[in-house]
Amino acid sequence: MILRNLKFALNSAWQSFWRNLAVSLAAVLSITLILILAGVNLLVGHAFSQVLDGFRAKVSEISINVSDDTPLQTVYDFKDQLAADPRIVSVRFVTKEEALVQFRSDPQNAILSRQIDGNPLDAKLDVQVKNLGDVAAVDEMARHWPGVDPTDPTNYQGDFINRMLQLSDWLTLAGAGLLIVLLIVSVVIVMNTIRTAVYHRRKEIEVMKLVGATEWFVRGPFVIEGIMTGLIAASIALALLAVAYEPAVMRFKSDVGFIPLSYDPNFVSSLARDLLLAGALLGALGSYIGVRRYVRI
Amino acid sequence: MVLTPDFDTKPVISFQHVHKTYPTGTEALRDINLEVPMGDFLFLVGPSGAGKSTLVRLLIREEKPTKGKIFVDGVELGRMKRRKLPQYRRKIGLVFQDFKLLPNLTVYENVAFAMRVLGEPDHKIKARVADALDTVSLSGKEQTYPANLSGGEQQRVAIARALVHAPRFIIADEPTGNLDPATAWEIMQLFLRINARGATVVMATHNREIVDLLRRRVVAIDAGQIARDDRSGRYHDDLAQSQVRA
Repeated sequence: MILRNLKFALNSAWQSFWRNLAVSLAAVLSITLILILAGVNLLVGHAFSQVLDGFRAKVSEISINVSDDTPLQTVYDFKDQLAADPRIVSVRFVTKEEALVQFRSDPQNAILSRQIDGNPLDAKLDVQVKNLGDVAAVDEMARHWPGVDPTDPTNYQGDFINRMLQLSDWLTLAGAGLLIVLLIVSVVIVMNTIRTAVYHRRKEIEVMKLVGATEWFVRGPFVIEGIMTGLIAASIALALLAVAYEPAVMRFKSDVGFIPLSYDPNFVSSLARDLLLAGALLGALGSYIGVRRYVRI
Repeated sequence: MVLTPDFDTKPVISFQHVHKTYPTGTEALRDINLEVPMGDFLFLVGPSGAGKSTLVRLLIREEKPTKGKIFVDGVELGRMKRRKLPQYRRKIGLVFQDFKLLPNLTVYENVAFAMRVLGEPDHKIKARVADALDTVSLSGKEQTYPANLSGGEQQRVAIARALVHAPRFIIADEPTGNLDPATAWEIMQLFLRINARGATVVMATHNREIVDLLRRRVVAIDAGQIARDDRSGRYHDDLAQSQVRA
């Protein structure tokens, strides 16, 4: 009986979608626009998180400068201590000579390196910290280590990192806020569109109720129609976004070169999953709420 | 064949001191006491606004009484849970003045609709719909849409839909209101046939000729109260008629 009812609901939903094509298309269009906005939000969010990840990788590496008179064994002991710390990913010891080679190999230092006499650079420990938030603690630990160069202990830039962390938090919050607003707006739109469709079919619903249909028997076709509408809208939105994603990134890159945006084809599949799921859920939820007033027996 | 209702057995429909006041303050029914035995054929008559339609709405549980109790088949409608309502409505066949057919469904689909909601299998639906359409003499019109049928034919489709699931009760609200006298008479013949098969029929009507001709039970409602309950009555009170004539 459940299968028969499901078959009936699917049939009714399909027929109703085509019979009320104008209303159906209006619903598809509304949801498509909302999902495009949501998709753009997700894509922009993803692009920013890519950029932020790049920055994070850079600033979560801290160099601890070693004083010239520190015995090598002390340096190795501290290196081992750091490597055993769960907050730290890796530690690499860079000798004075290697530091000079690194310095000279950077084209930006070409003029400066010609003027250098001897090797004024410190040996250093390059430490990769797991979480950006732990860099300050590692820096603090390094400053208390007796072997550190007291004049220039580390390259840690606390303010910059704190701002980065703040920016990252704000962007996440703004993105989530925008998504919530979009979701609420879309549910309201879908609800009203479906309510219009339901209003056109109120006689049918009245008859259904009078002949003894259960609430779910009446509601089922509308919810399925909502899911169908949502999935169609999500497919359209996804197709448009997928086509526009790469050219948009390229255009942005050429216009705002200093922000290292990049095209990530893998993200399209996760976007597809999110949009299709969101479309189906929005359609179902909008229909469920939209039809409630008429369905109550 | 005329089915004789047994007034001595327990009634299948029972109104006990039923009052209905709408939220607007309109008092539609006052202290209604009415018992309907199984197999009865009952006309509800009275002027417009007397409360006939309210009584019908109470009977199909579209409305709940403000005071009093209504029992149908031993179940008190006022206390019935919402989820039980579909099962209750499946015991009833409903016929309305405006037919309430779905314009985008064919005759067959309209009649089958009442069985679809029950989740019946296709082969059963097919057989029962054919039977119902045969009863109302509409065989051959299965694929026609309601818009292409006359008023009488549309009402016959509605009756086929009302009886396709073999309900125990037929409740009709002005079923001949939109029909010419000849067609109205044809429709009444159908109701009589359904009653003869055992269904209890409650019909609100304004059709004086039919009520007077059939001489069935007549419950007259006036200003929300039962003014008269005759087992073999006429549309107007005989006494009042004779007074008018005098």
